[in-house]
Amino acid sequence: MATKVNRATAVGETSASRLSPELLLGLYRMMVKCRMCDEKARILFRQGKYAGNFYSNVGQEAGEVGAAYSLRDDDWVAPSHRDWTSNIIKRAPLKYCFAQLYGKADSPDRGKSTPAHMGYPELHVITPASTIAAQLMIGTGVAWGLRRQGKDSVVVSFCGDGATSIGWFHEALNFAGVHQLPMIYVVQNNLWAESVPLRLQTALKNLSDRAKGHGIAGVSVDGNDILDVYEAATAAIARARNGEGPTVLECKTYRWYGHSEIDPAKYRMKEEVEEWKRKDPIPRFEKYLAEHKLLDDEQKKQVRDEITREIDEAVEFAEKSPYPAPEEALEHVWA
Amino acid sequence: MAPVTMVEAIREALDEEMQRDPTVVLIGEDIGVYGGAFKATEGLLAKYGWERVIDTPISETGLIGAAIGMSYQGLRPVAEMQFIDFIACGFNQMVNFAAKSHYRWGGPVPLVVRGPCGGGVHGGPFHSQNPEMWFVHAPGLKVIYPSTAYDAKGLLKSAIRDNNPVVCLEHKFLYRRVKEELPSEEYTVPLGKLAVRRPGRDLTIATYGAMALNSLEAAEELAKEGIEAEVLDLRTLMPLDRQGIIDSVRKTNKLLVVHEDVRSGGIAGEIAATVNEQAFEDLDGPILRVTSLDTPVPFAPPLEERFLPQVADITRAARELARY
Ligand SMILES: Cc1ncc(C[n+]2csc(CCOP(=O)(O)OP(=O)(O)O)c2C)c(N)n1
Ligand SMILES: [Mg+2]
Repeated sequence: MATKVNRATAVGETSASRLSPELLLGLYRMMVKCRMCDEKARILFRQGKYAGNFYSNVGQEAGEVGAAYSLRDDDWVAPSHRDWTSNIIKRAPLKYCFAQLYGKADSPDRGKSTPAHMGYPELHVITPASTIAAQLMIGTGVAWGLRRQGKDSVVVSFCGDGATSIGWFHEALNFAGVHQLPMIYVVQNNLWAESVPLRLQTALKNLSDRAKGHGIAGVSVDGNDILDVYEAATAAIARARNGEGPTVLECKTYRWYGHSEIDPAKYRMKEEVEEWKRKDPIPRFEKYLAEHKLLDDEQKKQVRDEITREIDEAVEFAEKSPYPAPEEALEHVWA
Repeated sequence: MAPVTMVEAIREALDEEMQRDPTVVLIGEDIGVYGGAFKATEGLLAKYGWERVIDTPISETGLIGAAIGMSYQGLRPVAEMQFIDFIACGFNQMVNFAAKSHYRWGGPVPLVVRGPCGGGVHGGPFHSQNPEMWFVHAPGLKVIYPSTAYDAKGLLKSAIRDNNPVVCLEHKFLYRRVKEELPSEEYTVPLGKLAVRRPGRDLTIATYGAMALNSLEAAEELAKEGIEAEVLDLRTLMPLDRQGIIDSVRKTNKLLVVHEDVRSGGIAGEIAATVNEQAFEDLDGPILRVTSLDTPVPFAPPLEERFLPQVADITRAARELARY
């Protein structure tokens, strides 16, 4: 499988014409929704509305949405610490996503786990463990289980560049390769693992090359180009459904903010951050949609107004939701 | 000398040992430019260079393994776990390799693995654990767990000089909350010796880590009611200062063990068994314990508060014991 990198900034000339306006606008709306929810989550944390921490995904929405937007209800997602929005993309009601941040009784885990470590059983979003890369082997086991039941569902897992240094990453790829499992390993390469730059993590240039060592498909895309991601993900998902095995999909991207809300990210150059902000996936896609007469300023405003209303309601719900009773600490230890 | 926090005391220990002994190296994630997630290694990269302050990829099992290998080459590595919870990812190297190395082929492993542990900061299930007993239960490892800045520095220095693998647990709630003036001259604190934090005649409270602070606070309150508790800070969990505990129990005839670790399999059980074996005749009442719950550490603030032992839990148990 060819490795594509650093494609021109103009998006999706090749295949986008085949995509319906509904789908294109759906992708757009979801990217904006993820961005706005994430920004809101950051503000709420800074206002001291909830405890713990939050790992912003802002800047990485194209990979996040492009890879998971078209999953079916029966497909699974195995997110990492930075993928709270995976729940949103899998269509979790926003009120529960915000209740999760607050650790309230109405969150899917009733306050047991931390804000960003959110899963959603009914929507097949696996709860992330904080231990980096742990979700990959879990997702791989889910893929085995799905196939064992004769289903054609697939699993999309997310991890960062840093996670690819961990043994488990390789153990997962190896196992999935041996058994040709329906897995898509999305690597959101944002160039940094906390304060450690890519060059101190690996000698590779393209993280999709990690696939080669395990005999599976690997592809690198411009992770700030939603259509580039969507195209590659759709192909990988189709192969996985057809029993043609797993794929590593590297999305080259950038996180705008610190590793978490308590990290001022002083280890990065301001120029680097500014450069990547100019490659913001949302205006890039807006430009494409405008050029194809699918989006005007009025519609843009409408999308944002709708999402703002939805977020306001969700936050109100989360704030009104009670905390779990202290005695609940003792519940749910055993199945 | 200005008072220093526990995390500053830890940095001083690392700095002084690196200065004193060129074989001491640091290895871990984000410990270089970033100075560590809690800033325990801040400034040390600039001072000692990248060959002695080694930033690794995310790879606990790999970095602990490499540190063991380095120790075979005459180096004294101090490995940082960003949160001690992640030592679980390097568990095999700890319990199967480091712990057994000297026993199996006479190869000492002068390794320290240190990192922040404990709850009270809303870290949730993966950033709050107290995994001391995983390692107390692996013969060949030593386990230290300071509650003061003085001890954090002195114990860590001893651990670095020790020829055995030592797990050093640093309670993150204490990192910036305890502060004290440290001696300007060099000192160490020996491994395996408890400290009597407060003398008393009516009962012994054996504890460590953040619970040492809660226990001292409880002892103050108990004193107002005329109950004089002797508070022992264990400081080292393996090797455990069994004699120090027995000596105190012989005096007070009553024992309460307080730990933040979960109840089942916590060190309270081991201490109770020891006192049972060696000082049964001296006991005037049952050995009681105040611990956290047998659950993961929950995130939501009211749940975490319920999980952690509170001062009131300690005074309640102490009053009950004092009645005997
Ligand atoms: C096993 C383990 N080691 C260390 C950490 C601390 N930690 C949390 S996120 C992170 C960096 C992850 O980098 P990357 O995989 O690139 O994901 P990103 O945060 O950039 O999305 C580290 C070191 C952890 N959570 N788990
Ligand atoms: Mg990264």
